[in-house]
Amino acid sequence: MDHPSVPSRARTARTSLTLPVVRTPVLRWADAARAKIQGFARLLVESRGPYARAFENLILALVIFSIASIGVESIPGLPESATHALHVAEIAVVAIFTFEYLLRIVAARNKFAFIFSYQGLVDLLAIAPFYTLGFDARWLRALRLLRLLRVLKLQTHFLETVVEERTRELAEKNAALEKAQAQLKAELEVARALQLAILPAAFPARPECQGAARMIPATTMGGDFYDYIELPDGKIGLVIADVSGHGVPAAFFMAVARTNLHELAVRHSDPGECLAETNDALCAQNPLDLFVTVFYCMLEPKTGVLQYANGGHNPPYVRRAAGAVEPLSGAGGLVLGAMPGSRYPTHMVQLLRGDRLVLFTDGITEAFNPAEELYGAKRLVDEVHVHGGGTPAALVERICQSVTNFAGTAPQSDDITLTVLTWGAP
Amino acid sequence: MKLRIEELAEVTYVVPEGRLDFDAAPGFQEAVERVLGGAGKSLAPVIIDGTGLEYVSSAGLRAFLLAARAAQRSGIPFALCALQPAVREVFELSGFSRIIPVHADRASALAQTQQGRA
Repeated sequence: MDHPSVPSRARTARTSLTLPVVRTPVLRWADAARAKIQGFARLLVESRGPYARAFENLILALVIFSIASIGVESIPGLPESATHALHVAEIAVVAIFTFEYLLRIVAARNKFAFIFSYQGLVDLLAIAPFYTLGFDARWLRALRLLRLLRVLKLQTHFLETVVEERTRELAEKNAALEKAQAQLKAELEVARALQLAILPAAFPARPECQGAARMIPATTMGGDFYDYIELPDGKIGLVIADVSGHGVPAAFFMAVARTNLHELAVRHSDPGECLAETNDALCAQNPLDLFVTVFYCMLEPKTGVLQYANGGHNPPYVRRAAGAVEPLSGAGGLVLGAMPGSRYPTHMVQLLRGDRLVLFTDGITEAFNPAEELYGAKRLVDEVHVHGGGTPAALVERICQSVTNFAGTAPQSDDITLTVLTWGAP
Repeated sequence: MKLRIEELAEVTYVVPEGRLDFDAAPGFQEAVERVLGGAGKSLAPVIIDGTGLEYVSSAGLRAFLLAARAAQRSGIPFALCALQPAVREVFELSGFSRIIPVHADRASALAQTQQGRA
């Protein structure tokens, strides 16, 4: 009975020997009809589709109606017509229940198992009294209460369906989230690669000066950068900058800022004018209202004259050959990208033989340790003072070590960027 | 970061407390813009009281910049006051104190903003 099509096809094969042409199409048609009926039955009572749900709701409504009618029937002095109507309704309800019971048998893959299952027995008990006792029997009303069991059955079925659906939805959403997260992570990796690739590889070779730099990108991806620029007349341009915010927008803005500044630097002999023009260019292409702090200086390697302008960046330190550390004056210019027309005064400092220039971003001074203490300017100044006598590369390494040791297990929330320049070092 | 809003007849004070960093900036910006939007026709000044503001990151500065721009568009006087030294230094180094007025305390902030309008 499980696979009715199999024996019938066998029969077809056998009978086709004796009656080859006529009966085979008929049996094929019967098979097709059987399959169709079974498909229809499954659509109504087994699938999770809208038809099955509608049919289930209909059955539930009928159960409630038939139980309510027991109450109505017991009202004393009910008119004859009402009693009659209720009897007719009762016949209709039982007919539909019977139809449903048969549908379930047809739909079931193991019919025997269904008939003797809890569901199957409840279905049968709900209709059997009507057939065996006739609907006039007085105590039939009590037996009709058995239909309540059907409500329970339907509820269980409904709950199971809901739970199953929610579980599936949750799994789907989880998978979508995981996919989105992986994509985001991949995009961040691209942005980070872009950020690192844009940094210059080596300091321009000059006999009078040496330079070294390092950037340690934050886990959340910041927008720091530094740049060396070969300028006309053998001068060297040096940039350190920090874009506001994190993530892909900051990385993009950093690329735009770096490119603009790099191109404009060659055309300006005055750092302040260069920042002013860069600022106007950035304001014109800044849909996300980001901004960037920039310190830009020009070194004349032959004389040690350093001209600079500061657009909202932490003032760099000069370490004199004797060890004294002082910040460069002239800070407080507005960050670039915030307001067109901003002006940046150019300042000048004379470097002496053996002086060091230390440019940094606030990723160093604002690094936190697990106890939520700041690294702070004092620790940086101390490192520069005590260990600044060696090569620029050694000082860069020393400071980065000091900051990462201090931060320990605390997450690095901002890029750490550092550039050290030595002029006329012995 | 916590945020308190004191709405008086002639001025609204916004009092942020804690660290205004990358995570706190969007909420802060939204709250200030709501205050600016709610000022309506009275155009009462909006003053940020920085007494409890411990730290402002670059993302926090951006929130201030956007709030100042929104205030300017609506013609609402906008100022800061009572900044802690470290925060004040951030505003000065970044040049933000050039575009957003920073005052010593509430009284001078209110006096200056009202004077500015007269």
